[in-house]
Amino acid sequence: MLEESVLALQRSLVEAALMPDPGPLERDPAGFAAGRGLALGDQAAFARFKDRLLVYRNLVRANLAEPVEAICFVTRAHLEQAGRWEECLAAFLASRGVRSAFYRDLAASFLGWLASSGWGRERWPWMLQLVHFELLNALVAHHPGGDPPAGLHPRPGLGDRLVLDAPTQLVTYQYRVHLATVRAPEPAPGTTHLLACRDGAGLPRWMELTPATAALLLRAQQASIGQAALDLGLDDLSEAVDLLAQLQAKGAILGFATR
Amino acid sequence: MASHGHCGPFTGVGLGLRHPHFAPLARGNPGVPFWEIAPENVLGDGGCEHDAACRVLERDPVLTHGLGLSVGGFDPFDPEYLEQLAGFLAFTGSPWHSEHLCFSSVDGSTTHELLPMPMTRAAVRHTIRRARELQDRLPVPFLLENITYYAELGEKELAEPEFLAEILDGADVGWLLDINNVYVNALNFDFDPKDWLLRVPLDRVVQMHIAGHDRVGELVIDTHGAPVIDPVIELMQWVLPRIGRPVPVLLERDNDIPGLEQLLAERAAIQEAYDAVVTLHA
Repeated sequence: MLEESVLALQRSLVEAALMPDPGPLERDPAGFAAGRGLALGDQAAFARFKDRLLVYRNLVRANLAEPVEAICFVTRAHLEQAGRWEECLAAFLASRGVRSAFYRDLAASFLGWLASSGWGRERWPWMLQLVHFELLNALVAHHPGGDPPAGLHPRPGLGDRLVLDAPTQLVTYQYRVHLATVRAPEPAPGTTHLLACRDGAGLPRWMELTPATAALLLRAQQASIGQAALDLGLDDLSEAVDLLAQLQAKGAILGFATR
Repeated sequence: MASHGHCGPFTGVGLGLRHPHFAPLARGNPGVPFWEIAPENVLGDGGCEHDAACRVLERDPVLTHGLGLSVGGFDPFDPEYLEQLAGFLAFTGSPWHSEHLCFSSVDGSTTHELLPMPMTRAAVRHTIRRARELQDRLPVPFLLENITYYAELGEKELAEPEFLAEILDGADVGWLLDINNVYVNALNFDFDPKDWLLRVPLDRVVQMHIAGHDRVGELVIDTHGAPVIDPVIELMQWVLPRIGRPVPVLLERDNDIPGLEQLLAERAAIQEAYDAVVTLHA
Protein backbone atom coordinates (compact mmCIF):
# COMPACT_ATOMS: atom_id res chain seq x y z
CA MET A 1 0.00 0.00 0.00
CA LEU A 2 1.51 3.33 -1.01
CA GLU A 3 1.54 6.29 1.31
CA GLU A 4 -0.53 8.25 -1.21
CA SER A 5 -3.35 5.91 -0.33
CA VAL A 6 -3.03 6.96 3.34
CA LEU A 7 -3.54 10.54 2.23
CA ALA A 8 -6.48 9.51 0.03
CA LEU A 9 -8.12 7.83 3.03
CA GLN A 10 -7.56 10.90 5.18
CA ARG A 11 -8.98 13.18 2.50
CA SER A 12 -12.02 10.92 2.17
CA LEU A 13 -12.78 10.99 5.88
CA VAL A 14 -12.45 14.77 6.06
CA GLU A 15 -14.61 15.11 2.95
CA ALA A 16 -17.23 12.89 4.62
CA ALA A 17 -17.15 15.17 7.65
CA LEU A 18 -17.23 18.54 5.92
CA MET A 19 -19.35 18.06 2.80
CA PRO A 20 -22.69 19.84 3.20
CA ASP A 21 -24.85 16.83 2.32
CA PRO A 22 -24.03 13.46 3.92
CA GLY A 23 -26.41 11.76 1.48
CA PRO A 24 -23.76 10.19 -0.79
CA LEU A 25 -22.06 8.55 2.21
CA GLU A 26 -25.35 7.48 3.80
CA ARG A 27 -26.78 5.99 0.62
CA ASP A 28 -23.70 4.32 -0.84
CA PRO A 29 -20.60 4.41 1.36
CA ALA A 30 -18.62 2.04 -0.90
CA GLY A 31 -19.52 4.21 -3.91
CA PHE A 32 -18.48 7.30 -1.97
CA ALA A 33 -15.09 5.69 -1.30
CA ALA A 34 -14.76 4.46 -4.89
CA GLY A 35 -15.46 7.97 -6.14
CA ARG A 36 -12.41 9.13 -4.19
CA GLY A 37 -10.15 6.54 -5.73
CA LEU A 38 -10.01 4.21 -2.73
CA ALA A 39 -9.20 0.53 -3.21
CA LEU A 40 -11.82 -2.22 -2.98
CA GLY A 41 -10.82 -3.20 0.56
CA ASP A 42 -11.12 0.40 1.68
CA GLN A 43 -14.51 0.69 -0.01
CA ALA A 44 -15.66 -2.34 1.96
CA ALA A 45 -14.41 -0.74 5.18
CA PHE A 46 -16.37 2.41 4.41
CA ALA A 47 -19.46 0.27 3.93
CA ARG A 48 -18.83 -1.67 7.15
CA PHE A 49 -18.24 1.44 9.25
CA LYS A 50 -20.71 3.79 7.58
CA ASP A 51 -22.63 4.65 10.75
CA ARG A 52 -19.45 5.26 12.70
CA LEU A 53 -17.98 7.43 9.97
CA LEU A 54 -21.13 9.51 10.34
CA VAL A 55 -20.31 9.77 14.06
CA TYR A 56 -17.01 11.35 13.05
CA ARG A 57 -18.94 13.72 10.82
CA ASN A 58 -21.03 14.79 13.82
CA LEU A 59 -18.00 15.15 16.09
CA VAL A 60 -16.05 17.27 13.61
CA ARG A 61 -19.00 19.51 12.83
CA ALA A 62 -19.85 19.98 16.50
CA ASN A 63 -16.23 20.86 17.27
CA LEU A 64 -16.03 23.45 14.54
CA ALA A 65 -19.46 24.94 15.15
CA GLU A 66 -19.27 25.25 18.93
CA PRO A 67 -17.05 28.34 19.28
CA VAL A 68 -18.79 30.08 16.38
CA GLU A 69 -22.18 29.51 18.00
CA ALA A 70 -20.90 30.54 21.42
CA ILE A 71 -19.43 33.84 20.26
CA CYS A 72 -21.73 34.78 17.36
CA PHE A 73 -24.95 34.07 19.22
CA VAL A 74 -26.81 37.16 17.99
CA THR A 75 -25.93 36.38 14.38
CA ARG A 76 -27.01 32.82 14.97
CA ALA A 77 -30.33 33.96 16.47
CA HIS A 78 -30.95 36.13 13.43
CA LEU A 79 -30.17 33.38 10.93
CA GLU A 80 -32.20 30.83 12.89
CA GLN A 81 -35.16 33.18 12.74
CA ALA A 82 -34.60 33.35 8.99
CA GLY A 83 -34.19 29.56 8.81
CA ARG A 84 -30.69 29.90 7.35
CA TRP A 85 -28.25 29.16 10.21
CA GLU A 86 -27.59 25.52 9.35
CA GLU A 87 -27.09 26.45 5.70
CA CYS A 88 -24.63 29.19 6.66
CA LEU A 89 -22.68 26.87 8.95
CA ALA A 90 -22.64 24.12 6.34
CA ALA A 91 -21.27 26.52 3.72
CA PHE A 92 -18.58 27.68 6.14
CA LEU A 93 -17.52 24.11 6.97
CA ALA A 94 -17.53 23.08 3.30
CA SER A 95 -15.19 25.99 2.55
CA ARG A 96 -12.46 24.29 4.63
CA GLY A 97 -11.81 27.72 6.04
CA VAL A 98 -10.51 26.56 9.41
CA ARG A 99 -6.75 26.51 9.04
CA SER A 100 -5.49 27.48 12.49
CA ALA A 101 -4.44 24.89 15.04
CA PHE A 102 -5.66 27.28 17.73
CA TYR A 103 -9.25 26.56 18.69
CA ARG A 104 -9.82 30.16 19.78
CA ASP A 105 -9.23 31.27 16.15
CA LEU A 106 -12.34 29.47 14.92
CA ALA A 107 -14.80 32.33 15.18
CA ALA A 108 -12.29 34.61 13.46
CA SER A 109 -12.08 32.04 10.67
CA PHE A 110 -15.86 32.28 10.36
CA LEU A 111 -15.61 36.06 10.05
CA GLY A 112 -12.87 35.68 7.42
CA TRP A 113 -15.02 33.26 5.46
CA LEU A 114 -18.05 35.59 5.62
CA ALA A 115 -15.87 38.44 4.32
CA SER A 116 -14.33 36.48 1.47
CA SER A 117 -17.39 34.50 0.41
CA GLY A 118 -19.92 37.31 0.71
CA TRP A 119 -22.44 34.77 2.05
CA GLY A 120 -25.72 36.53 2.85
CA ARG A 121 -24.28 39.98 2.19
CA GLU A 122 -26.82 40.98 -0.41
CA ARG A 123 -29.77 40.28 1.87
CA TRP A 124 -28.12 41.28 5.16
CA PRO A 125 -25.42 43.86 4.37
CA TRP A 126 -24.82 44.40 8.10
CA MET A 127 -24.10 40.78 8.98
CA LEU A 128 -20.32 40.98 8.56
CA GLN A 129 -20.19 43.98 10.89
CA LEU A 130 -22.40 42.24 13.45
CA VAL A 131 -20.12 39.19 13.50
CA HIS A 132 -17.11 41.48 13.82
CA PHE A 133 -18.68 43.20 16.81
CA GLU A 134 -19.53 39.86 18.41
CA LEU A 135 -15.89 38.85 18.05
CA LEU A 136 -14.59 42.12 19.38
CA ASN A 137 -14.99 41.27 23.08
CA ALA A 138 -13.20 37.95 22.66
CA LEU A 139 -10.39 39.55 20.68
CA VAL A 140 -9.89 42.21 23.32
CA ALA A 141 -10.15 39.75 26.22
CA HIS A 142 -7.57 37.38 24.72
CA HIS A 143 -5.24 39.89 23.10
CA PRO A 144 -1.69 38.78 23.90
CA GLY A 145 -0.63 42.35 24.64
CA GLY A 146 3.02 43.19 24.30
CA ASP A 147 5.85 45.02 25.96
CA PRO A 148 4.71 48.57 26.75
CA PRO A 149 6.96 51.35 25.49
CA ALA A 150 9.10 52.97 28.15
CA GLY A 151 8.71 56.53 29.41
CA LEU A 152 4.94 56.89 29.30
CA HIS A 153 3.27 59.14 31.81
CA PRO A 154 -0.33 59.06 33.03
CA ARG A 155 -1.38 62.71 32.58
CA PRO A 156 -1.82 64.02 29.05
CA GLY A 157 -0.22 67.27 27.93
CA LEU A 158 -0.97 69.12 24.71
CA GLY A 159 2.47 68.31 23.37
CA ASP A 160 2.11 64.56 24.04
CA ARG A 161 0.85 61.83 21.80
CA LEU A 162 -1.28 59.06 23.23
CA VAL A 163 -0.41 55.37 23.29
CA LEU A 164 -3.33 52.95 23.36
CA ASP A 165 -3.20 49.83 25.49
CA ALA A 166 -2.28 46.98 23.09
CA PRO A 167 -5.67 45.21 23.33
CA THR A 168 -7.65 48.43 22.80
CA GLN A 169 -9.55 48.54 19.51
CA LEU A 170 -11.13 51.53 17.81
CA VAL A 171 -13.80 50.43 15.37
CA THR A 172 -16.38 52.13 13.17
CA TYR A 173 -19.48 50.34 11.92
CA GLN A 174 -22.14 51.51 9.51
CA TYR A 175 -24.85 49.86 11.64
CA ARG A 176 -25.83 50.01 15.31
CA VAL A 177 -24.51 46.49 15.82
CA HIS A 178 -23.78 47.02 19.51
CA LEU A 179 -27.52 47.37 20.17
CA ALA A 180 -28.50 44.14 18.43
CA THR A 181 -29.82 41.40 20.72
CA VAL A 182 -30.96 37.81 20.41
CA ARG A 183 -34.56 39.04 20.44
CA ALA A 184 -33.92 41.92 18.04
CA PRO A 185 -30.84 40.84 16.11
CA GLU A 186 -31.17 43.11 13.08
CA PRO A 187 -29.19 46.32 13.68
CA ALA A 188 -30.48 49.69 12.49
CA PRO A 189 -28.34 51.68 10.06
CA GLY A 190 -26.22 54.41 11.62
CA THR A 191 -22.53 55.20 11.85
CA THR A 192 -21.19 53.90 15.14
CA HIS A 193 -17.78 54.52 16.69
CA LEU A 194 -16.79 52.12 19.45
CA LEU A 195 -13.80 51.78 21.66
CA ALA A 196 -13.23 48.31 23.09
CA CYS A 197 -10.66 47.80 25.82
CA ARG A 198 -9.84 45.90 28.98
CA ASP A 199 -10.80 47.44 32.28
CA GLY A 200 -8.66 47.43 35.42
CA ALA A 201 -9.68 43.85 36.17
CA GLY A 202 -8.68 42.77 32.67
CA LEU A 203 -12.26 42.25 31.53
CA PRO A 204 -13.39 43.44 28.09
CA ARG A 205 -15.51 46.59 27.94
CA TRP A 206 -16.73 48.79 25.12
CA MET A 207 -18.01 52.33 24.97
CA GLU A 208 -19.58 54.38 22.24
CA LEU A 209 -17.61 57.43 21.11
CA THR A 210 -18.65 60.64 19.46
CA PRO A 211 -17.20 61.08 15.97
CA ALA A 212 -14.91 63.85 17.30
CA THR A 213 -13.52 61.68 20.10
CA ALA A 214 -12.98 58.78 17.74
CA ALA A 215 -11.11 61.06 15.36
CA LEU A 216 -9.02 62.51 18.20
CA LEU A 217 -8.07 59.06 19.46
CA LEU A 218 -6.96 58.06 16.00
CA ARG A 219 -5.06 61.22 15.13
CA ALA A 220 -3.39 61.83 18.49
CA GLN A 221 -1.52 58.52 18.20
CA GLN A 222 0.60 60.13 15.47
CA ALA A 223 0.37 63.89 16.04
CA SER A 224 0.48 65.71 19.37
CA ILE A 225 -2.80 65.96 21.22
CA GLY A 226 -2.81 69.75 20.74
CA GLN A 227 -2.12 69.47 17.00
CA ALA A 228 -4.70 66.72 16.58
CA ALA A 229 -7.34 68.82 18.37
CA LEU A 230 -6.43 71.80 16.22
CA ASP A 231 -6.64 69.76 13.02
CA LEU A 232 -10.06 68.51 14.05
CA GLY A 233 -11.28 71.98 14.93
CA LEU A 234 -11.92 71.12 18.59
CA ASP A 235 -12.36 74.37 20.46
CA ASP A 236 -12.22 73.17 24.04
CA LEU A 237 -8.75 71.65 24.48
CA SER A 238 -9.13 71.17 28.24
CA GLU A 239 -12.22 69.04 27.63
CA ALA A 240 -10.25 66.85 25.21
CA VAL A 241 -7.40 66.48 27.71
CA ASP A 242 -9.84 65.54 30.50
CA LEU A 243 -11.45 62.94 28.29
CA LEU A 244 -8.09 61.40 27.46
CA ALA A 245 -7.17 61.32 31.15
CA GLN A 246 -10.44 59.49 31.87
CA LEU A 247 -9.73 56.92 29.16
CA GLN A 248 -6.29 56.41 30.61
CA ALA A 249 -7.83 55.78 34.03
CA LYS A 250 -10.22 53.22 32.48
CA GLY A 251 -7.33 51.33 30.90
CA ALA A 252 -8.06 52.11 27.25
CA ILE A 253 -5.04 54.39 26.94
CA LEU A 254 -1.77 52.99 28.18
CA GLY A 255 -0.23 56.42 28.71
CA PHE A 256 1.19 59.50 27.05
CA ALA A 257 4.53 60.01 25.40
CA THR A 258 6.32 63.29 25.17
CA ARG A 259 7.01 64.00 21.52
CA MET B 1 14.86 8.17 23.17
CA ALA B 2 16.83 8.23 26.38
CA SER B 3 14.23 8.37 29.09
CA HIS B 4 11.70 5.56 28.72
CA GLY B 5 12.22 4.54 32.30
CA HIS B 6 12.69 7.94 33.79
CA CYS B 7 9.83 9.84 35.38
CA GLY B 8 11.89 12.53 37.06
CA PRO B 9 9.87 14.24 39.76
CA PHE B 10 6.65 13.26 37.99
CA THR B 11 4.76 10.50 39.68
CA GLY B 12 1.34 10.06 41.24
CA VAL B 13 -1.85 11.49 39.78
CA GLY B 14 -1.92 14.95 38.23
CA LEU B 15 -4.73 17.01 36.82
CA GLY B 16 -5.39 18.68 33.51
CA LEU B 17 -5.24 22.45 33.93
CA ARG B 18 -8.42 23.91 32.43
CA HIS B 19 -9.83 27.42 31.94
CA PRO B 20 -12.49 27.45 34.65
CA HIS B 21 -9.89 26.71 37.31
CA PHE B 22 -7.04 29.01 36.24
CA ALA B 23 -7.89 31.83 38.65
CA PRO B 24 -8.41 29.79 41.86
CA LEU B 25 -5.34 27.66 41.17
CA ALA B 26 -3.20 30.74 40.58
CA ARG B 27 -3.77 31.57 44.26
CA GLY B 28 -2.19 28.32 45.43
CA ASN B 29 -1.72 24.62 44.72
CA PRO B 30 -4.24 22.47 46.62
CA GLY B 31 -1.89 19.47 46.72
CA VAL B 32 -1.82 18.37 43.09
CA PRO B 33 1.62 16.91 42.27
CA PHE B 34 1.64 18.16 38.70
CA TRP B 35 -0.53 19.65 35.98
CA GLU B 36 -0.87 19.02 32.29
CA ILE B 37 -1.60 21.78 29.81
CA ALA B 38 -2.22 21.97 26.07
CA PRO B 39 0.20 24.55 24.64
CA GLU B 40 -2.47 25.55 22.10
CA ASN B 41 -4.57 26.86 24.98
CA VAL B 42 -1.81 29.17 26.17
CA LEU B 43 0.42 30.14 23.25
CA GLY B 44 -0.58 33.40 21.62
CA ASP B 45 -3.25 34.01 24.21
CA GLY B 46 -3.50 36.92 26.62
CA GLY B 47 -5.72 38.45 29.26
CA CYS B 48 -6.37 37.82 32.92
CA GLU B 49 -7.19 34.10 32.62
CA HIS B 50 -4.05 33.58 30.61
CA ASP B 51 -2.00 35.43 33.22
CA ALA B 52 -3.49 33.22 35.94
CA ALA B 53 -2.59 30.07 33.98
CA CYS B 54 0.96 31.32 33.53
CA ARG B 55 1.29 31.83 37.27
CA VAL B 56 0.43 28.15 37.82
CA LEU B 57 2.75 27.02 35.02
CA GLU B 58 5.64 29.02 36.45
CA ARG B 59 5.09 27.79 40.00
CA ASP B 60 4.24 24.07 39.69
CA PRO B 61 5.53 20.98 37.84
CA VAL B 62 3.88 20.81 34.41
CA LEU B 63 3.62 18.32 31.57
CA THR B 64 2.63 19.46 28.08
CA HIS B 65 0.21 17.65 25.80
CA GLY B 66 -0.49 18.96 22.32
CA LEU B 67 -3.70 18.82 20.34
CA GLY B 68 -3.03 20.14 16.88
CA LEU B 69 0.20 18.88 15.34
CA SER B 70 -1.61 16.25 13.25
CA VAL B 71 1.29 13.85 13.64
CA GLY B 72 -0.14 11.30 11.21
CA GLY B 73 -1.15 13.92 8.65
CA PHE B 74 0.67 15.13 5.57
CA ASP B 75 0.62 18.91 6.08
CA PRO B 76 4.10 20.22 6.87
CA PHE B 77 4.70 21.12 10.50
CA ASP B 78 4.52 24.87 10.99
CA PRO B 79 8.05 26.02 11.85
CA GLU B 80 6.75 29.14 13.59
CA TYR B 81 4.51 27.03 15.82
CA LEU B 82 7.32 24.60 16.61
CA GLU B 83 9.50 27.54 17.62
CA GLN B 84 6.75 28.85 19.91
CA LEU B 85 6.29 25.35 21.30
CA ALA B 86 10.01 25.03 22.06
CA GLY B 87 9.85 28.31 23.97
CA PHE B 88 6.80 27.09 25.86
CA LEU B 89 8.51 23.82 26.77
CA ALA B 90 11.43 25.81 28.14
CA PHE B 91 9.05 28.07 30.06
CA THR B 92 7.17 25.18 31.68
CA GLY B 93 10.19 22.92 32.11
CA SER B 94 8.12 19.99 30.88
CA PRO B 95 10.40 16.93 30.69
CA TRP B 96 8.61 15.63 27.57
CA HIS B 97 5.92 16.63 25.11
CA SER B 98 3.11 14.37 23.97
CA GLU B 99 0.72 14.34 21.00
CA HIS B 100 -1.90 11.95 19.67
CA LEU B 101 -1.30 9.14 17.23
CA CYS B 102 -3.82 10.46 14.74
CA PHE B 103 -4.34 13.07 12.05
CA SER B 104 -6.49 16.16 12.38
CA SER B 105 -5.67 18.24 9.27
CA VAL B 106 -5.72 17.61 5.55
CA ASP B 107 -4.58 19.99 2.84
CA GLY B 108 -4.22 22.78 5.39
CA SER B 109 -7.79 22.42 6.62
CA THR B 110 -8.12 21.63 10.33
CA THR B 111 -10.92 19.56 11.85
CA HIS B 112 -9.97 19.97 15.53
CA GLU B 113 -10.81 16.28 15.94
CA LEU B 114 -8.54 13.31 16.59
CA LEU B 115 -9.12 11.24 13.45
CA PRO B 116 -7.95 7.63 13.19
CA MET B 117 -5.00 6.54 11.08
CA PRO B 118 -5.42 3.65 8.67
CA MET B 119 -3.84 0.64 10.38
CA THR B 120 -1.59 -0.18 7.46
CA ARG B 121 2.13 -0.60 6.88
CA ALA B 122 2.17 2.51 4.73
CA ALA B 123 0.67 4.50 7.59
CA VAL B 124 3.25 3.02 9.96
CA ARG B 125 6.12 4.13 7.68
CA HIS B 126 4.61 7.58 7.24
CA THR B 127 3.93 8.10 10.95
CA ILE B 128 7.41 6.92 11.92
CA ARG B 129 8.92 9.55 9.61
CA ARG B 130 6.68 12.26 11.00
CA ALA B 131 7.29 11.32 14.65
CA ARG B 132 11.05 11.20 14.06
CA GLU B 133 10.91 14.62 12.43
CA LEU B 134 9.09 16.01 15.46
CA GLN B 135 11.50 14.34 17.83
CA ASP B 136 14.40 15.93 15.93
CA ARG B 137 12.80 19.36 16.12
CA LEU B 138 11.66 19.32 19.75
CA PRO B 139 14.00 20.07 22.65
CA VAL B 140 12.51 17.33 24.86
CA PRO B 141 11.58 13.65 24.35
CA PHE B 142 8.43 13.16 22.31
CA LEU B 143 5.58 10.80 23.28
CA LEU B 144 2.68 9.49 21.23
CA GLU B 145 -0.72 8.73 22.75
CA ASN B 146 -3.04 5.93 21.66
CA ILE B 147 -6.41 7.45 20.73
CA THR B 148 -10.01 6.37 20.96
CA TYR B 149 -11.33 5.46 17.53
CA TYR B 150 -14.82 4.63 16.43
CA ALA B 151 -14.19 3.33 12.92
CA GLU B 152 -11.34 1.69 11.08
CA LEU B 153 -10.23 3.98 8.30
CA GLY B 154 -9.91 1.75 5.28
CA GLU B 155 -8.85 -1.89 5.17
CA LYS B 156 -6.81 -2.89 8.21
CA GLU B 157 -3.46 -4.64 7.68
CA LEU B 158 -2.34 -4.65 11.32
CA ALA B 159 -4.10 -5.09 14.63
CA GLU B 160 -3.92 -1.97 16.78
CA PRO B 161 -1.30 -3.35 19.27
CA GLU B 162 1.05 -4.24 16.41
CA PHE B 163 0.34 -0.95 14.62
CA LEU B 164 1.14 0.96 17.79
CA ALA B 165 4.23 -1.08 18.65
CA GLU B 166 5.72 -0.73 15.17
CA ILE B 167 5.33 3.05 15.26
CA LEU B 168 6.69 3.48 18.79
CA ASP B 169 9.66 1.21 18.08
CA GLY B 170 10.28 2.55 14.59
CA ALA B 171 10.21 6.17 15.71
CA ASP B 172 11.90 5.33 19.01
CA VAL B 173 9.56 7.53 20.98
CA GLY B 174 7.85 7.09 24.32
CA TRP B 175 4.23 6.16 24.87
CA LEU B 176 1.52 8.07 26.64
CA LEU B 177 -0.82 5.21 27.48
CA ASP B 178 -4.42 6.44 27.71
CA ILE B 179 -6.05 3.68 29.72
CA ASN B 180 -9.56 5.03 29.17
CA ASN B 181 -9.00 4.97 25.42
CA VAL B 182 -8.05 1.29 25.65
CA TYR B 183 -11.17 0.61 27.69
CA VAL B 184 -13.47 2.55 25.33
CA ASN B 185 -11.99 0.89 22.24
CA ALA B 186 -12.44 -2.50 23.91
CA LEU B 187 -16.14 -1.77 24.38
CA ASN B 188 -16.63 -0.42 20.87
CA PHE B 189 -14.67 -3.21 19.15
CA ASP B 190 -15.46 -6.00 21.57
CA PHE B 191 -12.04 -7.10 22.74
CA ASP B 192 -10.47 -7.78 26.14
CA PRO B 193 -8.45 -4.74 27.22
CA LYS B 194 -6.08 -6.86 29.32
CA ASP B 195 -5.27 -9.10 26.36
CA TRP B 196 -4.65 -5.93 24.37
CA LEU B 197 -2.32 -4.56 27.06
CA LEU B 198 -0.30 -7.79 27.05
CA ARG B 199 0.49 -7.26 23.34
CA VAL B 200 1.87 -3.72 23.53
CA PRO B 201 5.34 -2.45 24.49
CA LEU B 202 4.70 -1.39 28.07
CA ASP B 203 8.41 -0.66 28.46
CA ARG B 204 7.78 2.44 26.34
CA VAL B 205 5.14 3.89 28.68
CA VAL B 206 6.30 7.19 30.14
CA GLN B 207 2.97 8.63 31.22
CA MET B 208 -0.67 7.61 31.44
CA HIS B 209 -3.99 9.35 30.93
CA ILE B 210 -7.22 8.47 32.66
CA ALA B 211 -10.63 9.99 31.92
CA GLY B 212 -14.36 9.47 31.81
CA HIS B 213 -16.56 8.57 28.86
CA ASP B 214 -20.23 8.45 27.89
CA ARG B 215 -22.44 6.01 26.02
CA VAL B 216 -24.22 7.56 23.06
CA GLY B 217 -26.57 5.01 21.53
CA GLU B 218 -24.60 1.87 20.75
CA LEU B 219 -21.26 3.64 20.85
CA VAL B 220 -19.11 4.69 23.79
CA ILE B 221 -17.61 8.13 23.20
CA ASP B 222 -14.44 9.40 24.83
CA THR B 223 -16.03 12.62 26.01
CA HIS B 224 -13.80 13.46 28.97
CA GLY B 225 -17.12 14.69 30.29
CA ALA B 226 -17.87 12.32 33.18
CA PRO B 227 -16.11 10.93 36.24
CA VAL B 228 -13.76 7.99 35.67
CA ILE B 229 -15.59 4.72 36.27
CA ASP B 230 -14.27 1.97 38.54
CA PRO B 231 -13.41 -0.53 35.76
CA VAL B 232 -11.07 2.03 34.20
CA ILE B 233 -9.41 2.70 37.56
CA GLU B 234 -9.07 -1.06 38.06
CA LEU B 235 -7.48 -1.37 34.62
CA MET B 236 -5.01 1.36 35.61
CA GLN B 237 -4.23 -0.65 38.75
CA TRP B 238 -3.81 -3.80 36.69
CA VAL B 239 -1.37 -2.27 34.24
CA LEU B 240 0.80 -0.18 36.60
CA PRO B 241 2.63 -3.18 38.13
CA ARG B 242 3.15 -4.56 34.64
CA ILE B 243 4.76 -1.31 33.58
CA GLY B 244 6.95 -1.73 36.64
CA ARG B 245 7.57 1.98 37.24
CA PRO B 246 5.46 4.61 39.03
CA VAL B 247 4.72 6.51 35.82
CA PRO B 248 2.63 9.65 36.29
CA VAL B 249 -1.09 9.38 35.62
CA LEU B 250 -3.03 12.42 34.46
CA LEU B 251 -6.74 12.86 35.09
CA GLU B 252 -8.34 14.60 32.09
CA ARG B 253 -11.65 16.46 32.19
CA ASP B 254 -12.62 18.62 29.22
CA ASN B 255 -16.42 18.71 29.14
CA ASP B 256 -19.05 19.33 31.81
CA ILE B 257 -16.14 20.40 33.96
CA PRO B 258 -17.22 20.26 37.62
CA GLY B 259 -16.18 22.61 40.38
CA LEU B 260 -12.60 22.41 41.51
CA GLU B 261 -13.42 20.72 44.82
CA GLN B 262 -15.21 17.86 43.06
CA LEU B 263 -12.38 17.40 40.59
CA LEU B 264 -9.80 17.43 43.37
CA ALA B 265 -11.78 14.78 45.25
CA GLU B 266 -11.83 12.60 42.14
CA ARG B 267 -8.09 13.07 41.69
CA ALA B 268 -7.49 12.12 45.34
CA ALA B 269 -9.53 8.93 44.94
CA ILE B 270 -7.52 7.93 41.87
CA GLN B 271 -4.32 8.80 43.72
CA GLU B 272 -5.38 6.41 46.48
CA ALA B 273 -5.95 3.67 43.94
CA TYR B 274 -2.57 4.46 42.37
CA ASP B 275 -0.77 4.40 45.73
CA ALA B 276 -2.34 1.07 46.61
CA VAL B 277 -0.71 -0.71 43.68
CA VAL B 278 2.48 1.33 43.47
CA THR B 279 3.22 0.81 47.17
CA LEU B 280 2.28 -2.86 46.95
CA HIS B 281 4.70 -3.43 44.10
CA ALA B 282 7.45 -1.07 45.21
